[in-house]
Amino acid sequence: MRATATGGSNMALTRRQLGANVVAGGVVAGGVVAGGVAAGAAFGIVRNARAASEPVKIGILPLVSHAPTIIAQAQGYFAAQGLAARLVTFQAAEPMAVGIASGDIDFGVTAITGGLVSLADKGAVKVIGGSLAEAKGVEGQKVLASNAAYAKGLTSLAGLKGRSYAVTTAGSSFEYVAYKAAQKAGFPASEIVFRPLQTIPACIAALKTGQVDAWDMLPSVTDPLLKAKVAHAIAAVRDFIPGYQVTAVFTSTANINKRKEVVQRFLAGFARGIDDYDAALVAKTMAPKQIDAIVAEIHKYVFSAMPLDKARAHITHGVMRVNAGAALNVASVADQLQWLNANKLVPAGSTMQRLVDTSFVKTI
Amino acid sequence: MHDDAPRAAGAGVRPVPFRGGGFRPQTNTYVSLAVFAGLILLWEGGSRAGLISPIALPAPSQVIVALADLVRTGMLWKNLSVSLMRLGVGWVLGSILGIVVGLLIGLFTIARAALLQLTSALFAVPKIALLPLFIVWFGIGESSKIATILFGTFFPTVIATYSGVDNVDRNLIRMAQSFGLSWGSIVRKIILPGALPAILSGLRISSAIAIVLLVAAEMIGAQFGIGAYILQAGSLFAIDQLIAGVTILAVLGLFISWAIGRAERHFLDWRS
Repeated sequence: MRATATGGSNMALTRRQLGANVVAGGVVAGGVVAGGVAAGAAFGIVRNARAASEPVKIGILPLVSHAPTIIAQAQGYFAAQGLAARLVTFQAAEPMAVGIASGDIDFGVTAITGGLVSLADKGAVKVIGGSLAEAKGVEGQKVLASNAAYAKGLTSLAGLKGRSYAVTTAGSSFEYVAYKAAQKAGFPASEIVFRPLQTIPACIAALKTGQVDAWDMLPSVTDPLLKAKVAHAIAAVRDFIPGYQVTAVFTSTANINKRKEVVQRFLAGFARGIDDYDAALVAKTMAPKQIDAIVAEIHKYVFSAMPLDKARAHITHGVMRVNAGAALNVASVADQLQWLNANKLVPAGSTMQRLVDTSFVKTI
Repeated sequence: MHDDAPRAAGAGVRPVPFRGGGFRPQTNTYVSLAVFAGLILLWEGGSRAGLISPIALPAPSQVIVALADLVRTGMLWKNLSVSLMRLGVGWVLGSILGIVVGLLIGLFTIARAALLQLTSALFAVPKIALLPLFIVWFGIGESSKIATILFGTFFPTVIATYSGVDNVDRNLIRMAQSFGLSWGSIVRKIILPGALPAILSGLRISSAIAIVLLVAAEMIGAQFGIGAYILQAGSLFAIDQLIAGVTILAVLGLFISWAIGRAERHFLDWRS
């Protein structure tokens, strides 16, 4: 009860937070506070835990790129910031963005898509930090050509002219990469035939069977395809989009306005998750035993349908860098926004001001 | 009328008031239109007053603007024509195959034994889950889109058809047999007309399923089509366009339902 007594801010629970507590389920009145501390204590690493546990829900996708959140939660970094965090798994970025806009979820990480910018333009969400990024010296995204197209001369970006390119949806990051590829090769992107296939598995199936000529993806997906010799790599994305800010951290505008301090605490916990992620999976400077423990934690959410021994290789291979401290590459975001605006994929006149709040993290 | 009852009873004669009538709800075009218009006005008013968040629902006027944009740019017809082609081919093929297989199951022991359980099992398989496989099997051209709608409409039609055949009055068949009608004659003159109401109501349901599956079908590499338009609007969170696309599908559903109603009246007038 000491916890609640010192947590003045917690007394004024909003209706939404109250709803969140009910959803959290199985806890009696005030249980979320107690539960958060108990969960933190279970990890035995609660340092200067703020007395009041603020309930937050964090959306994740079952992808390795969302591991910093998973690690921060497992290591108790959110609890140490006085947050009673709960991870909510989504299967696609789009419902997660809408969930944040509606206030059901507090934080999430996703690519800068037309949908996200549109929600930001409506004043519902804002980008508050950077996540996955192309970095020198780290394996990054690749553009793949199907075997059939490769045999017919699609061996470089210039060959994309007049070819088909798999994308999930209009305004997705795939379309942006193809646009930048066309720009680099010196022809208009309108010469590429885009095939919207909605899901990653559909894109893989179409590329494997040669029904689309090209596609781009993270190394964790491209490398198994290359190893199985069902596709050829024709370019590395970082060579034509240097410093590409692939995904960004975002939250609701309401959180920024009303719970600014909670946003800061979330980012502080998230940054520690990023440090561990980098040490375990990207730089691999961590002790093997610790890496194993972290992989086991990630496995609870990612490739969880596979046994851990099998999943380990999938989790540890081709992991891309997440910006330290969730730093945001503003120029890259601006370039993506400019492309969305130019192609009328977002409401006319969407601005960086409405999309990004740079007051929380370092910008690069 | 109730006041009359005790007096009538006192006289020994009890006149029975007419108690029939009622229980016959009718449609009234004016009331339907008024409810519809009232709801839209309420919606528009709520949006303008800020009671309905622009994230939850766009104002009807914005939806109308999105529809007008579709018409002005000529994209309405471009999207609608490819969708109607996919719907038409998929639904017609699925229905014809479904009726044929349904009749086989309804008429022949071998077919029933072989196909009945198979149909029930495959009916339950969500076709959307098979999309990546459909891409491998049928490609990302028109065939995979048509196949999605075809498979979706085939199974309900099979089930509607064979249940229709099963429900044909056996007494009629026995009577026809005692009159010495041939097997073909019985099928043509008794079983088919007897099963027709069930088949037509099956078609009504499968047409709605076909429209539902249009969006799923156009998930596979479709650049144009009402389903593709809706999907793109969803991914860009352009909800005015999203509702505009859904409105088009709803109107399409109304139109097909009306057409099947006409067909029912035409083919089933022998019943009255």
